[in-house]
Amino acid sequence: MRGALRIALAQGVILPDTLKALAAVGLPVDGLTGHRRLLVRADGIEYVLARPQDVATYVAHGAAELGIVGRDVLLESDEDVIELVDLGYGVCRFVVAAPAGSLDRSLEAYQHLGSLEVATKYPRVAERHFQRRGIQVELIKLSGAVELAPQVGLSDWIVDLVSTGRTLRENGLEVVEEIATCSARLIANRVAYARERQRIAELADRLEAWAGARP
Amino acid sequence: MGTFRSYGYVPLEPPTVELARSAAGLDERRVLRFLDRDGSLLALRPDITTAVARVVAQRYREARGALRLAYFTSVFRQEHSMRGSEREYDQAGVELIGPSDRVADAEVVALLADALRACGLATAEIDVGHASVLDGFLDEVAEVARDDARDRARAGDLVSLLEIVRAAGLAPARVGQLRDAFRHRGPLAPFAERRDQLPPRSASAVGELLELAELLEAAGVSLPVRYDLGLVAPLGYYTGITFQAIAPGLGSAIASGGRYDGLLARFGTDRAATGFGIAVPHLHQALVATGQVAIDDAPLVTLEGGTPSHTLRVAAALRGAGVSVAIGAVAESAGRPVVALRVIDGTRVERDGLVTPVADIAADLASVPDRREDRG
Repeated sequence: MRGALRIALAQGVILPDTLKALAAVGLPVDGLTGHRRLLVRADGIEYVLARPQDVATYVAHGAAELGIVGRDVLLESDEDVIELVDLGYGVCRFVVAAPAGSLDRSLEAYQHLGSLEVATKYPRVAERHFQRRGIQVELIKLSGAVELAPQVGLSDWIVDLVSTGRTLRENGLEVVEEIATCSARLIANRVAYARERQRIAELADRLEAWAGARP
Repeated sequence: MGTFRSYGYVPLEPPTVELARSAAGLDERRVLRFLDRDGSLLALRPDITTAVARVVAQRYREARGALRLAYFTSVFRQEHSMRGSEREYDQAGVELIGPSDRVADAEVVALLADALRACGLATAEIDVGHASVLDGFLDEVAEVARDDARDRARAGDLVSLLEIVRAAGLAPARVGQLRDAFRHRGPLAPFAERRDQLPPRSASAVGELLELAELLEAAGVSLPVRYDLGLVAPLGYYTGITFQAIAPGLGSAIASGGRYDGLLARFGTDRAATGFGIAVPHLHQALVATGQVAIDDAPLVTLEGGTPSHTLRVAAALRGAGVSVAIGAVAESAGRPVVALRVIDGTRVERDGLVTPVADIAADLASVPDRREDRG
């Protein structure tokens, strides 16, 4: 095994907080910013900067021992990893949303038609949710701007990830139901978590203490 | 398989096709299923242990003593596409049916270590845990939350596991204990001392692990053993000591197993059982990672030239002396060195330009020990 612990970090909105968290628990993070290298080495730690979806894949396959990524990504990717610590930042929610004031109308339509159309970027999360609820839906997979779908008559509802809910409101949508609250997670590969338990558990303890001390 | 035999295990080939509803314990979306002509839903066996349990419950209903069964066969799982995983792979393993004591647990753990060593894998470690460590804590939470908690633990989602048990009424001190238990891997001593403070079922699980540790010490296991209280097997039928083999350079376990005392009862014969399965492709990857792949280096002779009857006579003579022979050139020798011979007549061949009696060639090549691949 590589001597260094390799940590895959999700690029994007959560990266600045991730760097803060790592620095706060004493890991070297100076080399991570200000250039475009994707593999960075710093005493005993090797960082991989990757797309959030790929962080889960790297860790599941053991290409990285640890990862920091949002739970929203984990729920949608369904990769087999150990979720160790809730880091508390990057908070967002998976919600079901419908055009404001249309809930009764769409439920009535559901009774008549037996199915609702739901547009989403997150088909696995949406499918699992409606299955658990026992509601039959037709999922429509979109790549972005899901808020638009009900307005143009593409779907009755949407399943989307929201942080403040402002985009929903501005597009005339309201939350029908919350599916899950998500925040950044420290994840580990199953085998690495066993083999490198001491180092990983120690780091997890420190990050947990850091997350717990935050307001 | 040689190592399995040396522990007294007899080979068993469980059926490949089974009725879909008996494929227990696995997410049904991961089972490869198809329809029979009469409309019944069949499945390619997704799990050998369940298949063996069913065979034993039916065929050995009256047997009372210990059954030691070994297999080397394929399993089928529906995988998501583009995940770099295969739908069919070989699995080698054993099932020890009958005894429910720690000696049986120690036997299978020691056997797994010996089997991996026999395959040339010295870098593996064996991780030992117990399915009831978590159960003890779940006894103290609201019943409705238990399945959900178990499900989260199996999925590796320790964050949600702790949230669920906290919300379901587990005392804060207990939550802390559970968290510490799931982070513990190594000697059992720290948990042995505080055993009475654990929930009763968790404490007896640690007790069983301590007994096992003593036995394994006495048995002298050929790979390092580590005790991992956070080890949760992904399959739901385990009831006691569970274990897995892990190695550097590999993201998933090479082998996993454990005690599954309730499984045979589901098929109508209530018997204790334990066992393990080695995922052969993972074992190969682990061997490749160590750089020492066991290859078959016994030479392969190819025969060319000669008349058909002379060629066949020479081939028979060489094979009779224990030499591998292929007639004509070979496109693939699986890494074995190839010795090309030209047939002169029924008793002589030409090797490197020299005409030599077949008997001399046989004596020369057969003296290289034929190291047949020993699969486990």
